[in-house]
Amino acid sequence: MLTEATSRRAKRPAKPITLVGVDVYIITEDGIPAFDDYGAFKIEFISNRGTKVWPGYVSPDLMMVNWYRCRFMAKGPVTDADVDVFLSNLTKKWKWSAAQKLWNYGDEAGFSKAY
Amino acid sequence: MKKHVITMLPGEGTGPEICEAVRRVIDHSGVDITWEYEEIGLDCLKEHGTLLPEKTIKSIAKNKLAIKGPTTTPVGTGHKSANVTLRKMFDLYANVRPAKLIPVLKRPWDKIDILSFRENTEDSYAAIEHMVSDEVAQCLKVITWPGSVRIAEFAFKWAKANNRKKIQCVHKANIMKMTDGLFLEAFREVAKKYPEIIAEDIIVDNCSMQLVRNPGQFDCLVLPNLYGDILSDLCAGLVGGLGFAPGANIGDNCAIFEAVHGSAPKYAGMKKVNPSAVLLSGVMMLKWLNEHEAATRIEKGVDKVLAEAKHLTYDAGGTASTDEYADAIIKAMETV
Repeated sequence: MLTEATSRRAKRPAKPITLVGVDVYIITEDGIPAFDDYGAFKIEFISNRGTKVWPGYVSPDLMMVNWYRCRFMAKGPVTDADVDVFLSNLTKKWKWSAAQKLWNYGDEAGFSKAY
Repeated sequence: MKKHVITMLPGEGTGPEICEAVRRVIDHSGVDITWEYEEIGLDCLKEHGTLLPEKTIKSIAKNKLAIKGPTTTPVGTGHKSANVTLRKMFDLYANVRPAKLIPVLKRPWDKIDILSFRENTEDSYAAIEHMVSDEVAQCLKVITWPGSVRIAEFAFKWAKANNRKKIQCVHKANIMKMTDGLFLEAFREVAKKYPEIIAEDIIVDNCSMQLVRNPGQFDCLVLPNLYGDILSDLCAGLVGGLGFAPGANIGDNCAIFEAVHGSAPKYAGMKKVNPSAVLLSGVMMLKWLNEHEAATRIEKGVDKVLAEAKHLTYDAGGTASTDEYADAIIKAMETV
């Protein structure tokens, strides 16, 4: 059921939405995670408290917590079902707190990069 | 005399002319500094394809110390902020911003001497944003226990070393009970180790109102990133604007000193902007290096020039150029 106010809400011009990846928030005490191949998705970067810690330079002074944002991008066209399979496989090895699907809206990414 | 090697990042817009004036003043203060000039900001894009070239990163990583002029951060879209990238890369978790009354700038208060300690790496600056549907955007506010403890520790240590009496934790824990609640809990835990310093907390909206009504009541503030960003600018506005607002970004093994104002590109090359904010950031840097004599010399020189009011830049009501203002400070330093 839609409330009357919901029906009257401002609408943003619609753009085509494409699933392109998934951010998974991994909890581990063992440092920066290393991932195997997970089929339709490939790890792009890992950040901790918003700072990119893989790939590339990591300051030895950087303090990390036990919660890593791991960005997996689709290797090709994917569906929600591919995300289900991917997360199911990931669960076998990793503890994760949340996953966020990544969509492009038209030509624009609907997600931020890490610093 | 101890020798120092410091990375100089002139930045863009008015940054190079400001930093050149600042370098001349610091070089006249009696310290032995070798400056390594490196590039940063939008001007790097054409040549290096990045706001923060690898050579610049290597210089800072080697010297562990830099002073930086202003840079521009594109709004809404485009490249990531070079400032935020540096803070995150070198884990410069403490942003220290003093706000003290400057006599020549007539203000309606008798006393303002506020030290803000802004957590510099977390909060909604963790760069975790998503369009979670086509009509809903989400930004994660990340507050961690170790991140909150270390900024509180930093603030209490600094306050103790500088004979400050009171620290207030600024928060909105009545609404954001998990995130700001964790920040406040960490503050209270750290405060137990410093019984000689009064530890209080204040809700951010009340703090904003009190700062405008009666800023003299405040001593030190410790704040999460976003509130710290906003309120430290408010404090700068109380004492005379960003032209006189120095800042330091400090980590456990690296520090970058910088003004917080923008690059004012419309004034670039006109040599009319006030270099005080970067210069006073340089004074903070000299104190960080335990070069207190040189720091005091510059401070007294600035105070004298401002008190005489003969060589003020336009924002302070004068007509002096950036260089004339710097020359006047150098001359004043010879007599103080």
